[in-house]
Amino acid sequence: MDGLFSIVPLIILAPFTGVLINVFFGRKLMPRRDSVAPGVIASSMAGFSFLIAVLMFFALLANPAGAEVPVLTWINVGDGDFTLHIPWTLKVDTLSSVMMLVVTGVGTLIHIYAIGYMHGDIDEKAASRGLEGEEALDFKRRRYARFFAFFNLFLGSMLVLVTANNYLMMFVGWELVGLCSYLLIGFWFDSPEKNEAGQIIGVLNSSAGRKAFVVNRVGDFGMLLAIMLIFWSFGTLEFDDVFARAECMIEAPQAECLTLSAAELAPQGEGEAAAEEHGEGEARALTTPIALGPFAPTLGVVVTAITLLLLLGATGKSAQIPLFVWLPDAMAGPTPVSALIHAATMVTAGIYMITRSNVLYAMAPVSGMVVAVIGGATAFVAASIAVAQFDIKRVLAYSTISQLGFMIAAVGLGGYIAGIFHLATHAFFKALLFLGSGSVIHGMEHGHHHAHGQGEHHDAPHGEDERPFDPQDMRQMGGLRKHMPVTTWVYIIGALALAGIPPLAGFWSKDEILLDASLNSTLVYILLTVAAFFTAFYMGRQVFMVFYGSERTEAARHAQESPPVMTIPLIVLAGLSVVGGLINLPVGGLHPLGRWLEESVANAHIASFNILVATISTVLALVAIGLSYLLYGRKPLEEGEADPLYSTGPVFTFLNRKWYWDELYAAIFVRPYNRLGDFLANAVDWQFWHDFVHDRIIADAFQGWAAILSRPIDLGIVDGAVNGVAQLVESTSRSLRRVQTGYVRNYALAVLMGVVAILAYLAIRFLV
Amino acid sequence: MNLPTLESINLAASLPVLILAGWACLLTAIDLFISPERKHWTAWLAVLGLLASGVALGFEAVAYSQRGAVSAFGDMAVVDGFALFLQGVFLLSAFLGILLALNYLPRHNIERGEYYTLLLFTTSGMMLMAMAADLIVVFLALELLSLPLYVLSGFAHPRLDSEEAAMKYFLLGAFASGFLVYGIALTYGGAGTTLLSGVVEALVGGGPAPNPVLAIVGMGLILVGLGFKVAAVPFHMWTPDVYQGAPTPVTAFMSVGAKAGGFAALLRVFLIAFPATGDTWGVVIAIIAALTMILGNVVAISQSNVKRMLAYSSIAHAGYVLVAVAAARYPEVEPLAVSAAVFYLLTYAVTNLGAFAIVIALERDDGTGVEVEDFAGLAKTRPWLAIAMTLFMLSLTGIPPSAGMVGKFFVFQAAVQASVGDPLILTVTIIGVLTSVISAFYYLRIPVMMYFRDGEGQANVQPALGVALALTALATFLLGVVPAPFLQMARHALLTLAG
Amino acid sequence: MPGVILFAILALVAILSAIGMLTSTNAVHAALFLVINLACIAVFFLGLSAPFLAMVQVTVYAGAIMVLFLFVIMLLGAERVPLSSRLRWQAPLAIALVLALLAVTLLVAFSPQVQGNLVNPRPVPPEAQGFGSPQAVGETLFARYLLPFQMVGLLLLVAMIGVVVLTKDERKPTGHISENAQASDRAA
Repeated sequence: MDGLFSIVPLIILAPFTGVLINVFFGRKLMPRRDSVAPGVIASSMAGFSFLIAVLMFFALLANPAGAEVPVLTWINVGDGDFTLHIPWTLKVDTLSSVMMLVVTGVGTLIHIYAIGYMHGDIDEKAASRGLEGEEALDFKRRRYARFFAFFNLFLGSMLVLVTANNYLMMFVGWELVGLCSYLLIGFWFDSPEKNEAGQIIGVLNSSAGRKAFVVNRVGDFGMLLAIMLIFWSFGTLEFDDVFARAECMIEAPQAECLTLSAAELAPQGEGEAAAEEHGEGEARALTTPIALGPFAPTLGVVVTAITLLLLLGATGKSAQIPLFVWLPDAMAGPTPVSALIHAATMVTAGIYMITRSNVLYAMAPVSGMVVAVIGGATAFVAASIAVAQFDIKRVLAYSTISQLGFMIAAVGLGGYIAGIFHLATHAFFKALLFLGSGSVIHGMEHGHHHAHGQGEHHDAPHGEDERPFDPQDMRQMGGLRKHMPVTTWVYIIGALALAGIPPLAGFWSKDEILLDASLNSTLVYILLTVAAFFTAFYMGRQVFMVFYGSERTEAARHAQESPPVMTIPLIVLAGLSVVGGLINLPVGGLHPLGRWLEESVANAHIASFNILVATISTVLALVAIGLSYLLYGRKPLEEGEADPLYSTGPVFTFLNRKWYWDELYAAIFVRPYNRLGDFLANAVDWQFWHDFVHDRIIADAFQGWAAILSRPIDLGIVDGAVNGVAQLVESTSRSLRRVQTGYVRNYALAVLMGVVAILAYLAIRFLV
Repeated sequence: MNLPTLESINLAASLPVLILAGWACLLTAIDLFISPERKHWTAWLAVLGLLASGVALGFEAVAYSQRGAVSAFGDMAVVDGFALFLQGVFLLSAFLGILLALNYLPRHNIERGEYYTLLLFTTSGMMLMAMAADLIVVFLALELLSLPLYVLSGFAHPRLDSEEAAMKYFLLGAFASGFLVYGIALTYGGAGTTLLSGVVEALVGGGPAPNPVLAIVGMGLILVGLGFKVAAVPFHMWTPDVYQGAPTPVTAFMSVGAKAGGFAALLRVFLIAFPATGDTWGVVIAIIAALTMILGNVVAISQSNVKRMLAYSSIAHAGYVLVAVAAARYPEVEPLAVSAAVFYLLTYAVTNLGAFAIVIALERDDGTGVEVEDFAGLAKTRPWLAIAMTLFMLSLTGIPPSAGMVGKFFVFQAAVQASVGDPLILTVTIIGVLTSVISAFYYLRIPVMMYFRDGEGQANVQPALGVALALTALATFLLGVVPAPFLQMARHALLTLAG
Repeated sequence: MPGVILFAILALVAILSAIGMLTSTNAVHAALFLVINLACIAVFFLGLSAPFLAMVQVTVYAGAIMVLFLFVIMLLGAERVPLSSRLRWQAPLAIALVLALLAVTLLVAFSPQVQGNLVNPRPVPPEAQGFGSPQAVGETLFARYLLPFQMVGLLLLVAMIGVVVLTKDERKPTGHISENAQASDRAA
């Protein structure tokens, strides 16, 4: 079975092959408007990757220790004391295998879904630009192929990230994912979201992409610093070696551990167990000095710094306070992109990275606590914001941030299994919800076209709707249950799973996180429990607003169910959301995922099921759903009616405005930055430097001097010297060229001269 | 008497070269039955031979990694990492040489099957050169390498410049060969043997007839003969005339193959046979290297013909490799310097063949179109070609991300290591760095021409040429970005005494 | 001692004939000087107990090849080589360099560091049984020097192909004689 590991490079290769095919041939593969070849190619590449992931899973069943598969040597410089050796080696172990399965499995379903979704989306955009016939076809070819190229690139990048065996390679994946998110969020970079009246609504896609990129870069900066610090203190970037050396340094001095590699440490085995024991007990005093240039901080300080910087990276990718602001705007991209970013790939990178670095976090309890509090706070804040949103995708976006907060809190408290478990189940139901919302939007747009098309024939120009049409506004939906039965049912399943109702997937994983929190930190436990209550409430609100009651617009009245290529992935995902909890069922000490991850996560511990915690969370969730029924279900909103939550006044506004985070950032960073830039450019550079210093001081003085210098000194001496050198080279060149007479005799003579010179030298050297 | 046994001949070890030489003889006969319109068949058959030889070489390399170096034909030849690496470079160059010629020859109405057979012959000469362990084999390999090249230079006859090139190359080549033979004779007189491993014994005071001074004079003359092949100053003067006059694909192949062949012999002869007198030849080669770099780079500035400019550039590059040769005389630097030299030859091979491929694309049927001005505006008419040419020029200058930069880096690294306590090598290294700055002057003139001057750069990229271009550009880029695997191979390209 | 005297005389003749070959403006004279030179060398081989090589030298070089040379020279009617008057500095410089080379060589040859120089010759080691006989030459050639022997074969083939390539005009085939003559001339 071990030989099977060696095929793992294919998992990355397949999506990148898809990228190449779609980049170079994608357009040619679409002879007609309804061609789907690029999508099918991309999906089959994703499916192939999933197949490889499954094979890896079976290989790991046979040999849980996993393997490192070297592909090539990437960087190999230096010798002696200083070496930097970074191989491009793929790491297959139980942790990366879980990630591979989730990324490729959910990713494949989203790919398939996108085949259908993007057809509608691109046609819609083409129509709104007034493209027809050949032009529209060309437009579609370009965009369809481009979309799937980016999509596969995204998947491949994420796989680079999770299969890395060292921090630098992980960073490459990390950056590639960031780049792809920029490309995909800004996919419609050239189309401002306009309504019929021509006003720009929502965020400009390109600026949403830019926001995601810039905010992510802030986190990447932390990640990069952490990588440098790791290399500086441990002399390597490979995960196993870093961890082995870090643990070695607890007892031995730094220099002694620098030559160590994981392979050498492994046979001891005891050391690891001993370290783990320490970890369980009181905080260790990590006092080994680490040489960092002129400083020599203790190991504890260094590891804390590293882990906090890594956390900064994680807050960027996994959208945590303070860097979560990009994610809600990221839904400007096409819906499958939101699903891929929010469910399967990008945002899970931070959780994965922290889990991967668990050895370091175990050594830095302070960082662990910071991680947990940030996670808990994010979960709470985001969940509260989600309560007051009207945009169907925006609710889900904040829900994602909140759920990521749960995971981050879990890994911060050492509950790595719980974190990864929730990551997996969340991937199922959040993909389901996003794709479901996409299906709703698709249906609404369809309905809008239908209604709009008729309206033009026999009605005055859109006087009916007070608000401009927005297919994502929940206030304009309602009663879709009747028009989109499949979507409704799968959506309700997803919502219940997210709310944490037993026995759906979300219940088991959320419960495990709450259990870990209740054991380790009361503060985090309270934050998470309140967040869970909010979660159940906003999901209830959403379901009632969208699917129940009566239709509030023409569009909703004419909404249509989506085609099977979209609904079948939804059904599969719904199934997974129902049974996903089985992968780590805590009954009877089973915990399959826990046992699985123990193989690769050194500090994993398996939590036992606690009936009290489970009951509290379930009851709270049911109460929240009941509350949402009271507010939105019993007496559904009618057309034009305001949300009952408006009655809370400023609280609602505060939540609706997202706690004024964006405004806060604008006030603290963006505007001061702009003002500083303005000051530097206009006041300092232009007025002071250019107008005053240059024009007055320098220019005037210069002109005086120049009069003296230019003629006699510059032209005479300086220019002469510079030109002289150039001329010398050139004239040497020309005169040497003249030696090249073309006569063989001359050439032979030159050879003879060489002979005489060499022999004379040799003779003198040996005879004199 | 000792009759050779099959074990001592060790045919398996020298299979790559045997296949190639044998196939060349056969192909000479086969070619007679191929009609003049179908001479490209001969080309593909020649490629087949190269391929077969390459496969054998692959097996040989695997065998080498398991059992190390072995000798063949008694002790006349040795198959070690050095030989295998360079043989790979030769096969690659020959393959590209055929690709370059495939469309060029019919376009210029000089297509004849002998082109390909002669190319195979000279390649087998180069391969023998890389594995020569006896001075006689060195001499014969050098002749086997040179003779077909003399003929190929005149392949465009009755075009006068081509005939002139062939004549000059032949006369001066014979002149230099004379010195080489004289040197070998004197070495034999001094050491009583022509075996490289025997010469080294004689020089340290053993062997049948030790007479070091004669051997040292012989060494000087051998240096002349080989210095001519690699176009080192002052034995370089044939280079520009021959490069300019010869058909461009021949020039391309010659600039790469003949030079690498010469260096194969230079490195092996001087490091295996004359290590004891390293302080002498080290000085001579260092000075020659400095002169070569200065002259090549300075004179290249005033060239307006690109072929001629590349000829001087090829002289200059010989200088850089000579720096590595001079550095290799210190035993502790030798492995690094030798691998740096062979790696440099590899990077130079792919880059220079690529650059000549572009020249071929631009060359018009009457042989004009190879002036620097002809590159004007190429970026607009043929953007990919312009990008590739820019890459090659960057690589020749030694600017990342290109193969040339990595090659230069390792050569200078070896030189710096050797320069500890050797001010001459330090001076030469500094000259090397300065002259590579000068070289930017003329290399980068071509990208400037392509991107910033208006003009309608015309180019004619036919399929085989396109393949060659793509291969060389890719290799130039890859060697610059992920050099590690190839460096690893070059690290194993070590010289061994006859095993 | 008589051996040394014979050697000295023949060496003088060989050198003078070589100079004569270089300086004579008539190609036929030059060829004849070369015959003398080659004959002297044949005698040297005899003096070195290599009778077989001496015979080969006489028959192949002084005989066959020189006859071909003369044929070609006369067929082409290129007996007189015009002297170029350009590059006036070439000849004196070349002579000076040759003299310098001679000086260096003599310096080496008569230096005390060279064992067995002309001043105090080294004792000649007794040659092995049958040294220099056709059999001994053949055995060495085919056994020890197998690879060089094969390579020489390749070289001759290449030279032949080369001559054909360079002289054959595809469009208008020329006569056979000059081709063959040059081919064997180069092959030798």
